[in-house]
Amino acid sequence: MKNMKKWLSLSLAGAMLMGVLAGCGGGTSSTPAPVETGAAEATGEPAAVEQVLKYGTDTWPAGFDPHTISAIAATRVFNQVYETLIDFNPDMTFKGVLAESWENPDDVTYVFHLRQGVKFHNGREMTADDVVYSFQRVLGQTDYGDIGALGSTDSYYGGIASIEANDDYTVTITLGEPNAAFMANLTSSYGAIVCREVVEANDGSLSAIDTMCGTGPFMYKESVVDNYISLVKNPDYWEEGAPKLNGITYYLLADESARLAALRTGDINLCSLSALNLSDVEGDENIKVLSYQSNNYTYLGFNLSSEKLQDVRVRQAMSMAVDRQAIIDYVYNGEAAVSTFVAPAMGHWVWDAPAESPLYTYDVEAAKALMEEAGYSDSNRMTLTMAAGLMDSIRDTAVILQQQLKEIYIDVEITNLESGEYVDVWGIMDTPEAGYDSMCGQNGSGTDPNRAVSFFFSTTGGANVWGYSNPEVDELCAQAVATTDEAERESAYIEAQKIVIDESPNLFFASPMEYFFVSSSVEGFEPFAANANNFRSTYIAQ
Amino acid sequence: MKSVISTLRELWRDPMGKIGIIGVVLLIVVAIFAPQLAPYPYDEIGMRFQPPSAEHLFGTDKFGRDVLSRVIYGARVSLEVGIIAVGIGAVCGYLLGLVAGYFERWVDRVIMCFMDILFAFPSILLAIFISAVLGKGIGPTMVAIGIVNIPVFCRTVRAAVISAKGLEYVQNAKSVGVKTWPLLVRHISPNVVAPFTVQATLALSGAILTEATLSFLGMGIQPPDPSWGSMLSEGRADMIRDPWVALFPLLFIVVTILVFNILGDALRDVLDPKLKT
Amino acid sequence: MRNYIIRRLLQLIPVLFGISVAIFAVLRFIPGGFASGMLGIDATPELIAQVNARYGLDQPVVTQYLNWIGGVLHGDFGISFRSGAEILPEILTRFQVTAELAILAAVISWCIALPLGILAAVKRNRMADRVVRVVALLGVSVPGFALSILVILVLSLFFGYYPPLDYVGLLEDPAKNLEIMFLPALILGCSMSGSVMRMTRSSVLEVLRQDFIKTVRAKGASERVAIFKHALRNALIPIVTLVGLQIGSLLGGAVVVEQIFSLPGLGLMTLTGINNRDYPVVQGCVLFIAFVYVLVNLVVDLLYAYIDPRISYD
Repeated sequence: MKNMKKWLSLSLAGAMLMGVLAGCGGGTSSTPAPVETGAAEATGEPAAVEQVLKYGTDTWPAGFDPHTISAIAATRVFNQVYETLIDFNPDMTFKGVLAESWENPDDVTYVFHLRQGVKFHNGREMTADDVVYSFQRVLGQTDYGDIGALGSTDSYYGGIASIEANDDYTVTITLGEPNAAFMANLTSSYGAIVCREVVEANDGSLSAIDTMCGTGPFMYKESVVDNYISLVKNPDYWEEGAPKLNGITYYLLADESARLAALRTGDINLCSLSALNLSDVEGDENIKVLSYQSNNYTYLGFNLSSEKLQDVRVRQAMSMAVDRQAIIDYVYNGEAAVSTFVAPAMGHWVWDAPAESPLYTYDVEAAKALMEEAGYSDSNRMTLTMAAGLMDSIRDTAVILQQQLKEIYIDVEITNLESGEYVDVWGIMDTPEAGYDSMCGQNGSGTDPNRAVSFFFSTTGGANVWGYSNPEVDELCAQAVATTDEAERESAYIEAQKIVIDESPNLFFASPMEYFFVSSSVEGFEPFAANANNFRSTYIAQ
Repeated sequence: MKSVISTLRELWRDPMGKIGIIGVVLLIVVAIFAPQLAPYPYDEIGMRFQPPSAEHLFGTDKFGRDVLSRVIYGARVSLEVGIIAVGIGAVCGYLLGLVAGYFERWVDRVIMCFMDILFAFPSILLAIFISAVLGKGIGPTMVAIGIVNIPVFCRTVRAAVISAKGLEYVQNAKSVGVKTWPLLVRHISPNVVAPFTVQATLALSGAILTEATLSFLGMGIQPPDPSWGSMLSEGRADMIRDPWVALFPLLFIVVTILVFNILGDALRDVLDPKLKT
Repeated sequence: MRNYIIRRLLQLIPVLFGISVAIFAVLRFIPGGFASGMLGIDATPELIAQVNARYGLDQPVVTQYLNWIGGVLHGDFGISFRSGAEILPEILTRFQVTAELAILAAVISWCIALPLGILAAVKRNRMADRVVRVVALLGVSVPGFALSILVILVLSLFFGYYPPLDYVGLLEDPAKNLEIMFLPALILGCSMSGSVMRMTRSSVLEVLRQDFIKTVRAKGASERVAIFKHALRNALIPIVTLVGLQIGSLLGGAVVVEQIFSLPGLGLMTLTGINNRDYPVVQGCVLFIAFVYVLVNLVVDLLYAYIDPRISYD
């Protein structure tokens, strides 16, 4: 089998290269191979001494304003430049970043004591005024008014009643009502502390790459759009001995195979790749794989304005007819965990549905029985239109679902969406105008169950686009966010999870692993779901 | 005008024409009788990434679907899209180019103005637009690819017409008082047959591949239906690891384009009046 | 001749006006908007309204168009919604990359295709002809994305080579620039050479059969002179048309190769703009590409007159 593989790959390579060679030569003269010179150049560079991390990134950031952009392609860059007051430890407790310590005099007041002597990249010291200004900017309270900042919504900082600087190094934030998720929200890059004079010098906009001026371990140096971004070490960084690297350069390499190829040759030394590539680097001692369980999960959301889907039996039947392990095997090469909408990485917040919910047991017969009860049979099959999101893994999941649901009298018609269609359809998935009965996609649980549960499934939740409404769930969500008692929160959220999973307004499938493929020489990099791009103690060995 | 039958008969007499006809007919037969020929349903999932074996002659893909069956069914989509899309582009482009090249002056200017607009328009945007108007699937895909192809045909034909008009015998015909349309059809068309058939066969491969790009962006053929282009695009990441997934659709694309080209060349030779001497 | 050029330049106006209206209208008609795309699943109607207001997207479409086209007429293409950068300087920078790529690819394709095409025509229906034609077809029928990825994979796996990742301009560092450009240009050149070769072959054949060539032959000139002086000259017309078309289409159409090789060209800029619904970027790029494309065609038409003295423009 191995031989067959090799033979075929070589013949394919040969067939295609023939085209190229036929091209180069015009029959007789062969062009001097650029291959040799290039390889020599690459090895001639003292790469290890450089201490520059070369990061292959799949998408060019769509802007550099931390208050308006949340896409991973952008955050992986500007999180090196901007910092927030606090951040997560790997065990999901909080650690101070720009805030050295904090206290909660009552359940709506947060007092942050800022680190002293922290400098922005323009050399000025960061003070409490900058913190106040940054939050005012998010909330639309500066001269520039509303900037469409995602952080201004209720699920982030919308509940802030006042924010004041007590002195140069103390900030007091007062909320309108208690919000247990507030601390977790502060770790979001929407809470980045920006430099007032830079905002003003750029007429309120921080979208341009050269306006990046934060307090972070790396500063912006130069870039060629759609090609590379170079960050260099901040020599005045507040943390002793950090960062160890002299810089990070991001190279745009949109195609997975290109990233893997560049990693092999050492032209980059870090990139994220999907599980399919694991077998390729097995036994390659120059490449190691760092993985972590992500906070994301794949789902199939139902348009509840569609009459046939209002029947809870149909939704439950589909849940039982889905072999989640098969999805994981086919789509993620076996490298994912069965998930609900509170991804397994959320630890103690998770209700173990795979073990406890009957709907998570793959049981085609029971599912068929439910469908028959609902009036479906081989002669009366249901047609389910399904919109599939943008990622390969989503589209692949849709194909598997189509096959599995076939067994229980459901004929799925898949439509892959283009990016613009996706955002349009997403917003109206609770109306017939959406044009689809269901949507297959991937969402993130976030870092606090408030987002995972209320944001997606409470009646007024911003991402509850399905038309799902259950007063009990709403009540539990309200309870859980109003108290800071962890045990009380946990029991409320677990209760809410049981209800949502039983009613199945969405089906949930898998939470994928995320992989960094890294040169063996890269040390001191330990990604985890809540912070996958911390390079403060990363260095290149030798 | 020669009848279709006599043209075919002449084609058959030419060895290259024979190969072309047999090849094209075989492909069409494969497409039409796909359900009878395919050993498995094209969407049946199973053991993934199986190398070619007696059970799965072309191996299996990432879902464990039989690549041979998908290639056979894919012939339907790819040939349909290729032929009809190029047909739309060729017919529209041919007529417009003929008219523009013959009349020149303002007719030419108006037509070429539209062609330039169309040509400079990003084809992906055009496809998004057409799928927003006409919906998704094979029909809109063919229309989108067809429209993208119009300017190329139009310019090719127009250039050939302009150059043919300079030829003596066309000038003579005109001076003898032959009317416009008969002149176009009888005397100019044969001159543009050559570049035109070349363009058409080239556009065919372009169309098969554009369809792949569109499927990739979410606009072309919808899953689980196979097309050669989308199979190749899906298998691209596996070209070293599991090469059969991409190799076989690629092989069929290449063979298809070859036989259509061979047929195109032979057809050109048969139709070209000047070769008769 | 000068009058002709002036007249042609005047004809640019309706084309550019037409394309500006078309692109503007289509961008606003298609699904997805800038605001909802930027905000993603966290979008609320209020946030969308805020973003629209910030970028002037809350104004009537006609007003938006007039503002934009007014700016363009003064050489101001506006700024990118996403990156905040000025669009025209960005386009001009990107154009250098794409133009270099297109020209290199075209040169490579000529070098391959002209000799092969003539050879095939002269040796018509003999072995050499058939081999050349099949080889040329391979270049066309292997899609650019598959060929690009395969070349990258093979070079990295078996030779440990990957082209330099950080782009530099031709003037800054010519050697490195050419190293970066070599593979993408070669791949594009190969795929172009198929069509140029076939066009050359059929045009040369066409011309060889025409009366005046027969006359030339009859008069005793050697075959070679006949071919090169007359046949090629006449055959050049469709070839030049094709090359003009191809350079034109490479301006916006080398997207796939630009993307895989991470070349910061105009095609990639347009594609990213479309994906982000960054209206002014797409509008600017398309208008610019149209402008260059129409100019290239003007040059092509002037070349007709130069190549074939029987064609005159006055």
